[in-house]
Amino acid sequence: MWRIRIHGRGGQGIKTASQIIGSAGFYSGFQAQDFPLYGAERRGAPVIAFTRISKDPVLERGPILSPDIILIGDETLLNDPQSAPLCGAEPSTIIFVNSDRTPESLKHNFTVMAINLTDLCIQYLDNHTVYSSALSAVGARLLGIIELPDLLQAVEDELTGVSSKVMKGNLDLARKIFEVIQPAVVSEKVNKPLIAKQLVFPQHRPVIEAAPIILQPGNMALRKTGNWRVERPEIDYEHCNNCLICYARCPDGVIGVDSDGRPEIDYDHCKGCLICAQECPGHFINTVRETGMFP
Amino acid sequence: MKVLTAVHKKIKDLHPHEAIAPGTGLCAGCGGLEGLRMGLKELGDDFLICNAAGCFTLLSVYPFTPLKGSWLYTTMGGPVPAAQGVRDALDIRMRHKGLEEKENLNVIVVAGDGSSNDMGFGPTSAAIHRGLDFIYFCYDNEAYGNTGFQLSAASPYGSATQTTPSTDVHEAGTEMNKKDLFEIWKAQKPVYLATVSPREPIDLSNKFARAKDLKGPRMFICMSPCPTGWGFDPKEAQQIAKLAVDTGIFPVKEYFEGEMVHTVRPRKRLPVEKFLERQKRFRHLFAPHRQDEVIEQIQSRVDDYWRKYD
Repeated sequence: MWRIRIHGRGGQGIKTASQIIGSAGFYSGFQAQDFPLYGAERRGAPVIAFTRISKDPVLERGPILSPDIILIGDETLLNDPQSAPLCGAEPSTIIFVNSDRTPESLKHNFTVMAINLTDLCIQYLDNHTVYSSALSAVGARLLGIIELPDLLQAVEDELTGVSSKVMKGNLDLARKIFEVIQPAVVSEKVNKPLIAKQLVFPQHRPVIEAAPIILQPGNMALRKTGNWRVERPEIDYEHCNNCLICYARCPDGVIGVDSDGRPEIDYDHCKGCLICAQECPGHFINTVRETGMFP
Repeated sequence: MKVLTAVHKKIKDLHPHEAIAPGTGLCAGCGGLEGLRMGLKELGDDFLICNAAGCFTLLSVYPFTPLKGSWLYTTMGGPVPAAQGVRDALDIRMRHKGLEEKENLNVIVVAGDGSSNDMGFGPTSAAIHRGLDFIYFCYDNEAYGNTGFQLSAASPYGSATQTTPSTDVHEAGTEMNKKDLFEIWKAQKPVYLATVSPREPIDLSNKFARAKDLKGPRMFICMSPCPTGWGFDPKEAQQIAKLAVDTGIFPVKEYFEGEMVHTVRPRKRLPVEKFLERQKRFRHLFAPHRQDEVIEQIQSRVDDYWRKYD
């Protein structure tokens, strides 16, 4: 059985990527299983999706703890404790990162490769950064057991309902990536029986003791949402006339006012919705692509 | 009619205080968060939010909270009964247990349109009837957004939701009309009732400033453009909110002491198409073929509404 784990953020097509690999594997004559895992959070928050492909019926259930291939759709997640993309990686695991460069820190221990999918998506998908077909093409190609026509058929199946232009872009993108990447050596692991965890009986405690209580008001600021950004707003202070429209319009309140009355963006928390850039009456807020945020 | 004063006249007058810290898990470009942020700026830190299950559940994720005030999480139908309990407890403690007046809290209910129109609808009506002293903030994104955008009683005619997509049998998508929550609440004559739009921060702030010092049920309905559910780029959230006001689809109004006033009036109403065509949830009205009769029906409902006030 081959196990693929995909990491990304809500809205990047991570769940669809796992579905495409699953369907492609199925068309290539294998049995497949795919499913996503995410919390209550959505667009921008970490998402994990899993695909299992096997010659025999897939009887294993639950999250993949020791994957053969890890696909990381967003390089900023390498540093994210909630997503923990490297968790369970073994020396034989192949790690793919959507990035311009291969993270040095990983090279010693794993087979790592990196391609900038974001730029490819921008080129093929009319400026949209949705990695469903790109990541699935990477996964399918690395596995080396899935044929291109099966992959393209799976892309068509899973993206049913999009316009013909978007579909063509996705198919071309998948084809392109299939050309660029070479199959990796993925050794098929022997199915290890999972060890059942010891049963834990819940203990009942009075609500007053056990209810979750937060005693630090406003501590949400400890959570940095700055790595959600694909693009970064930058204020052109030479022309900014301090009208503070951006300050009023920012939904997260990350634009503050400094002592001189000038707006100031808190990049630790700015999610990159770019409402400020859109609303600035003089268009004095520029947008710049975020790159290279991993450690 | 009592003259209501405008506290704020321009953006620079807005309260500099932020009651919501950044870092929440809400979607980038959330219109409802913008509305709540502006509202809480006026109310200060001495508040207790009774939060109905919904998108804003993500405001506070244990062990983190973005709020400078208190937060109590309740079921989808239960925020108003919770508010009643909190209000009563505070009153009793102040009256009999020596709790000082300065320890008093503004009790605020924060609920989505699903809770407000469907599950929490009855308890809210009962609370207005009892004259409960609280502020109700409904962020209306016109569907159950947190679970993936399913139909709520606030979903407008002609929109596609996950449970009412456009199909061969039901081409228009949602075939029911949006519940007019403003009129329903107005019929019960709460102390203060207003609709607010995040695109009109000064109007919004003035309304919260007015409501702050009143006693009794004070109700707000906030138009909340939802990039994820409505299907538009997050950066367009404010433009969509503006179009909702400019096309007349979302009237910005206020009800106080028996009189209803439109506080922001579109000077010349734009055709509703301008609002519809920019959102994925209305795309089936334009492609693969135009559904003129649906668009006309949406337009004529808007025209019918405004005919009374023009």
